[in-house]
Amino acid sequence: MTLTSFKTRIRQSIADENLQLALDNNAQRRRDGRLAAFASLPDYKERRARAHAIKADVIANLDEYLYKFIAKVTENGILVHRAADAAEAVRIVLEIVKDLPQRSQRLALSEAEGNTKDSFVPLRDLRGKKLVAKSKSMVAEEINLNHALEAAGIRVVETDLGEYIVQLRGERPSHIITPAVHLRRGDVGQLFHEKLGIPYTEDIPILTNTARKVLREVFLTADIGLSGVNFGVAETGTLCLVTNEGNGRMCTTLPPVHIALMGIERLVPTLDDLALMLSLLPRSATGQKLSVYTSLIHSPRRPPSTSLGTGADPDGPFERHLILLDNGRSALRHSLLAESLYCIRCGACLNACPVFRELGGHAYGSIYPGPIGSVISAALVDPNFAYLAQASSLCGACKEACPVDIDLPGLLLRVRGGEGVKRKDVKRNPAGIGLPASVKLGLKAFRLVAATPRLFAVLQTLGGLFSRLYSPRRAWMRLPAWTGWGYSKDLPRLAARPFRARWKNVKQSIKETSRQVDRGQVDKGQVDREEVGLVDQFTRELTALGGQVHLVPEGELSAKLSEFLRSKGVNRVQADESVAKYISGIPAIREPDASTWLSTSPTIRAGVTGAVCGIAESGSLLLISGTGQTLTASLLPEVHVAVLKTSEILPNLADALRRPEVRAADAGVIVTGPSRTADIEMTLTIGVHGPGELHVFLIDDSETV
Amino acid sequence: MPETVQLFVTCLIDTFFPHIGEAMVNVLNRAGVRVDFPAAQTCCGQPAFNAGLRMDARALAMHTIRVLERPPRSQKTSEVCVVIPSGSCAAMVRHGYLELFKDDPDWLARAESLAKRTYEFSEYLVDVCGITDPSTGLRQAQPGSSGRRLDAHWEGKLTYHPSCHLLRGLGVDRQPRALLATVQGAQVVDLPHGEDCCGFGGVFSVEHPELSAEFLKRKIANFEKCEAPTLVVADTGCLMHIQGGLQRQGKSQRVLHIAEILAHKA
Repeated sequence: MTLTSFKTRIRQSIADENLQLALDNNAQRRRDGRLAAFASLPDYKERRARAHAIKADVIANLDEYLYKFIAKVTENGILVHRAADAAEAVRIVLEIVKDLPQRSQRLALSEAEGNTKDSFVPLRDLRGKKLVAKSKSMVAEEINLNHALEAAGIRVVETDLGEYIVQLRGERPSHIITPAVHLRRGDVGQLFHEKLGIPYTEDIPILTNTARKVLREVFLTADIGLSGVNFGVAETGTLCLVTNEGNGRMCTTLPPVHIALMGIERLVPTLDDLALMLSLLPRSATGQKLSVYTSLIHSPRRPPSTSLGTGADPDGPFERHLILLDNGRSALRHSLLAESLYCIRCGACLNACPVFRELGGHAYGSIYPGPIGSVISAALVDPNFAYLAQASSLCGACKEACPVDIDLPGLLLRVRGGEGVKRKDVKRNPAGIGLPASVKLGLKAFRLVAATPRLFAVLQTLGGLFSRLYSPRRAWMRLPAWTGWGYSKDLPRLAARPFRARWKNVKQSIKETSRQVDRGQVDKGQVDREEVGLVDQFTRELTALGGQVHLVPEGELSAKLSEFLRSKGVNRVQADESVAKYISGIPAIREPDASTWLSTSPTIRAGVTGAVCGIAESGSLLLISGTGQTLTASLLPEVHVAVLKTSEILPNLADALRRPEVRAADAGVIVTGPSRTADIEMTLTIGVHGPGELHVFLIDDSETV
Repeated sequence: MPETVQLFVTCLIDTFFPHIGEAMVNVLNRAGVRVDFPAAQTCCGQPAFNAGLRMDARALAMHTIRVLERPPRSQKTSEVCVVIPSGSCAAMVRHGYLELFKDDPDWLARAESLAKRTYEFSEYLVDVCGITDPSTGLRQAQPGSSGRRLDAHWEGKLTYHPSCHLLRGLGVDRQPRALLATVQGAQVVDLPHGEDCCGFGGVFSVEHPELSAEFLKRKIANFEKCEAPTLVVADTGCLMHIQGGLQRQGKSQRVLHIAEILAHKA
């Protein structure tokens, strides 16, 4: 990757009309979405400052936090591996994969259904290969994991809709949050027509549903689920993973083995800190108060008869691995660019950046594009990427958008100044890296002149003269395009007499003022916050996301719930133990096996669960796995019904994360609305991998509490 | 005795737009402030700093600090305010110098002392002189007077482009807008997506001309949307860039420095 090829890609991106339309669309919607989401957070500035301070503390004391985190994760039963660089991380993954037996279900399935029309293209050539279902992970992109797995004869399928599209095209993501941001619906229609054999369509719900069908089979038959980690919590060993479509939940719940990849910097000290970060990440990334699914993972499925419960958890992988990747992060941490490690990978700086808006992600060449990418790519991906830092007007829109207040323009300036990471294998970057020699020479000459005021004045006068010779009539000179400036604008002639020469003739008369000045009214903008009841707030938030709330007296729950299920045409349900008693007249199953979900028309259309609590500020539900409670009931069926008491609705996320059940559970998830995606043209589509319908039966127990 | 400020006029105004410097002196005088111009000043070093040539930037920063440390003739102390008619140059002196000398305690102390007394032009008029609201000014007007006003007059529509380094670098936005609101006869209209960069960015405009051109195209298109004939800026870099684009496209709209508007009288 060279500077010259970067410049070529810049020209290509600007000339690509399709790309420009897609990027314009993205920039506007993302910006509006982010601003709207933050309007609901009146103490945003304080939160941002606190988040900055928390990350600063974590990075300054990273060794201690890592030690604590690893001890806790290990205690929870997850196998921890540390990788110093990309090659080591890849090797660890390969070893884990190679040691596994293949899943018998898939073999049985491919024998039974291998030749039917419903079997889809990606698995047709599987023949004995192991299958990895992969959820979005920037760390995996950083270490180029897919390539290494495929080379080792392992089939990897990306399951985030955007990533899946990009993978089918043989590309890499062009944005860290919306990987297919460079494409329009017609591109996806053509792709699915060619690769999946469906008739060409631009109908986004049809395209999404096609991907759902294909990927459902991948989730259920994969040998391994691979995911990234958004946050690791040092005090509890929690792995927090945020997705909207539900693919992250699938990959971390269904396959027998889960591998999580995580950069060592992605830690927060406590669950309270996690709540703070979660109030910032989805708002900054997608303009949501919370993403649809916030997974909280602690342990693999526990063996029967542990001290905690009477039996095994009904679902979850038998084995979980965590790979902690350094790959240049320690070097970054000890450099003047350490602040870049505060990044929570929300992508807000990309969406705010006017350069990204023109280029999209691919032109950068690095898997980390945009302002943050221009700072970290040289340290984490390839030292040659230092030249990316020059592609910025230093407008500061990135810093303003950053939810953890990273001084991105300041860091870009440090990279330009050659103050980035020093590496043994690479010569220290020279100052002014990425600048052509001519520009450097010009600036150095200018400095020599400007440090000598008399010479400066002489050259100003000479310049004034020459510019009049060059352009005798026009006050604005037309310079040729090769000068850079002349590419799109004219340059004024230098003044015949500069200010310093005119200063002698400037006469000053100081005005003595005595008149009364009008005072502008200071608008204090008093806001009276309406006290909204928690139940109302919960209902309003969930309804806004497309969920439905049914408020029922306790005595009528059973009748209403059963009637509701029948009205939906449900004749079998998957139900948690705690709520199965409310369902009458419909067979309830606790743990359907995988084949139930693999049939082309699953007979179980609804899953009924309890919930630990509700969260009023975002209309969310907290669910956990455990004895008698599955995470699949809220994930695999088309309709998810949750039963919750009004007294269990808590004001905010931090309150929910303080519930003791969170720490004790093997895994939990915060569900905020039905499954959704906006990966194709930023168009919201409901029901990707998870349920398309979410109903909460709220038992009114306000009288009894 | 009226208060005195040191004018750091910036190399762009000095070389290309001296009349803006004169307008600025006029406005400061009307605000009751005497202006001193340290003649040995040249460039603050921002181009070299932004390009990453820190040694070169440091040389010019040292030169500028030395020049501005010399007390004005009329004053015994050098502790007078420095006024700069450009957001990016003011940000360079206020923030850039601290970064340049972060490993050099002696120069860092000198840079900090300069940073503390440095103001961008509109910021100085509003926050120090209290032009728009005397109760918020740091300095009281002359004894016996109850406030200062500029009595600027401009006929027609104006719109304001907040320069990146002024808006996000220094956090100065309220001040220029408040000053424009005092201009009699002027109708100030909103510039759509005003906070977007115009694509100047110093060396960026020469080094990445294609990107810079795209930013400029959007800026001019938004300027045309608001149908004002005049765009006001408080940074000469943006002025030169946007006006240069208008000239190239053969457009008749003008870009003016806020000092030119404030200096204008009926």
